Amino acid sequence: MSPALGADLEIDSAMTLNQVGVGCDVMIRFLTGPGCERLRDLGFCEQLQVRKLAGGRNLICSVCGTRMAISRELAEKVMVAPLR
Amino acid sequence: MQASPDTPATIALIGNPNAGKTTLFNALTGSNQKVGNYSGVTVELKSGEAFTPHGKKLRVLDLPGCYSLRAPSPDEKVAVDALRGELPGYAKPDLVVCVVDASNLERHLQLVLQVIEIGLPAVVALNMVDMAEKSGLRLDPAKLSEELGVPVVPMQASAGKGIIELKQALRHPFPVPPQAKWLGSGDEELARRGFIRDLCELAARRPDAHQLTLSDRLDAWLLHPVWGWAAFLATMFTVFWAIFSFAQIPMGWIESGQGAVAAWVEALIPEGDLRSLLVDGVLGGVGGVVVFLPQIVLLFFFIGLLESSGYMARAAYLMDGVMARAGLSGKAFLPLFSSYACAIPGVMATRTIDSAKERLTTIFVAPWMSCSARLPVYFLIVPLLLHESEGSWKQALVLFAIYGLGTLSAFVVARVLRGRLGPDAGANHFLLELPPYRAPQWSYIFRHVLERGWAFVAKAGTIILGLSILLWGLSTYPKSSDETVDPLSHSAIGRIGAVIEPVVKPLGFDGRVGTAILTSFAAREVFNSSLAVLFRVEESDDEEATRASLRERISAATWPDGTPLFTPLTLISLIVFYIYALQCLPTSAVVAREAGSWKWALGQFAFMSTFAYLAALLVFQGGKLLGF
Repeated sequence: MSPALGADLEIDSAMTLNQVGVGCDVMIRFLTGPGCERLRDLGFCEQLQVRKLAGGRNLICSVCGTRMAISRELAEKVMVAPLR
Repeated sequence: MQASPDTPATIALIGNPNAGKTTLFNALTGSNQKVGNYSGVTVELKSGEAFTPHGKKLRVLDLPGCYSLRAPSPDEKVAVDALRGELPGYAKPDLVVCVVDASNLERHLQLVLQVIEIGLPAVVALNMVDMAEKSGLRLDPAKLSEELGVPVVPMQASAGKGIIELKQALRHPFPVPPQAKWLGSGDEELARRGFIRDLCELAARRPDAHQLTLSDRLDAWLLHPVWGWAAFLATMFTVFWAIFSFAQIPMGWIESGQGAVAAWVEALIPEGDLRSLLVDGVLGGVGGVVVFLPQIVLLFFFIGLLESSGYMARAAYLMDGVMARAGLSGKAFLPLFSSYACAIPGVMATRTIDSAKERLTTIFVAPWMSCSARLPVYFLIVPLLLHESEGSWKQALVLFAIYGLGTLSAFVVARVLRGRLGPDAGANHFLLELPPYRAPQWSYIFRHVLERGWAFVAKAGTIILGLSILLWGLSTYPKSSDETVDPLSHSAIGRIGAVIEPVVKPLGFDGRVGTAILTSFAAREVFNSSLAVLFRVEESDDEEATRASLRERISAATWPDGTPLFTPLTLISLIVFYIYALQCLPTSAVVAREAGSWKWALGQFAFMSTFAYLAALLVFQGGKLLGF
């Protein structure tokens, strides 16, 4: 498998934080769109582990030991993949 | 950059919101700034003095919390300007203490790296190590210090641990600014992130499995779509009920004390103008306001408790959906909730809102959240509306309804105004940190309550005392030589009242109530003292009689034709007027400063005063048409 194909596969298999089930642990793959800077400042960085604690209008996630409430629109920008 | 021997060196405290900067600032300087368990409690720069173990004086700046030095919101911009030495009146800091929460190093180190990149000498205060170690994190401060190139002091500022060690690190000569060794040729952001990831793997290893903390388990209930709301409403109702019932005991003490002083003055001074001034003017006027001190203290106590325990952020999370209907976000909750205590800290707390238009809207409606200065007026009127035998829970319900009406109207106006201001230039999203639940820091809550209580007493001793004496003078002079003329209607205030009466009569008020309203435009709690002075409430030795005297006088007041002045409809009209009227000069001044224009403050004042008049008019005339 070529590296390019691998990257494509990874992007295809990534999902947004909204699509993750409550209680799941996932890893942040990449962030897309505007507003990412703010997310990174708050700890939503690539390679970090996130647990989704609650869904709904605003999500609650636990990222590096902090609980954060973020809106659905922002969660849409956070692409995650299951932990390997 | 070294400070000369005689001028003290400037030390700046910087860190993410809720990292414990203010706690550390208080511990270093021995002052008592307010500490909350909520992002953005410090919105202004505070400065104080501290001493090194060798007795050298240091100037310490407490900067507002910020996540990065890119500065999107106004409170963060203050911090950035201060670090660069661009803030007028403040020297560029000689040393920066980066306060970081040890359990969140991955995030908090971002800011530390940015500070080091600026090229200022830095010391890292690794705060809340107890919490981090309890959660299973294995910290290695020595390794952190080696990799970052700056001293790292592990500490627990809330318990005073590590303060001495930090002061040791603040000694001259300051450490030289380290090299930002992570910066290479590539992207800064990426370089920083990679460095932090490697560093955390070395010096702050997390336990592998995600552990469910006590806060997680509490949140499962307190943020539940059903139970969370039940808990929220129960908390809010308990707060208001407690304010009504617990405060009765100290209020009784104040009233009996006031009665005793009045009796003592009456025994000491013969009948005449001086006695009348002291008993009717000073004691009646100031006493009518001071008696509500216990309730105000309790309200501030509960707000402090909610903030310090960490529940306030949960309330903001729950309220986000409700606030969205008003065109606001959950971030507007804390400013609006603080406005229940006082609109001034509420308006100042709007600085944590990123969107400028949302901030202006929040500032505009904040004074409609019934503040504690309205409480004396409500506490005077509500018992008149309900008979005493009906129980305190009914009074609490009416009070709840008063707060509800103000809040609901504020939301409606916010929605209309937010729609008119148009959408924001950039997208702003709801993003809020939910801090772990902590045991409240009692000493800070009590100091804060004491401070607010003292501010209230000081106001009673100055503005309210002055206005009471002025009112007494206006209601006593000029005196009529004709015994048959009612002295009050002959006095200056009687004449003013006669002029005002046609304006307020459609609302159901007479000239005296109109005058009391007019005097309360500088500060609304003056209404009580004005009524006490205008209705000539006599102090008496009998405790019970003193307690009820003002209410009795008011409920016995009549129009000249003998019909009762205060019918239930008049009382409701009066309450409605006080819900909506903006009668507080300090609030207008703060609004003008925070909104950056006097026009906004004047527009708000004109709008709210007109609205209050029209609403009271509607209530009274509408009620009369319906046959009440």
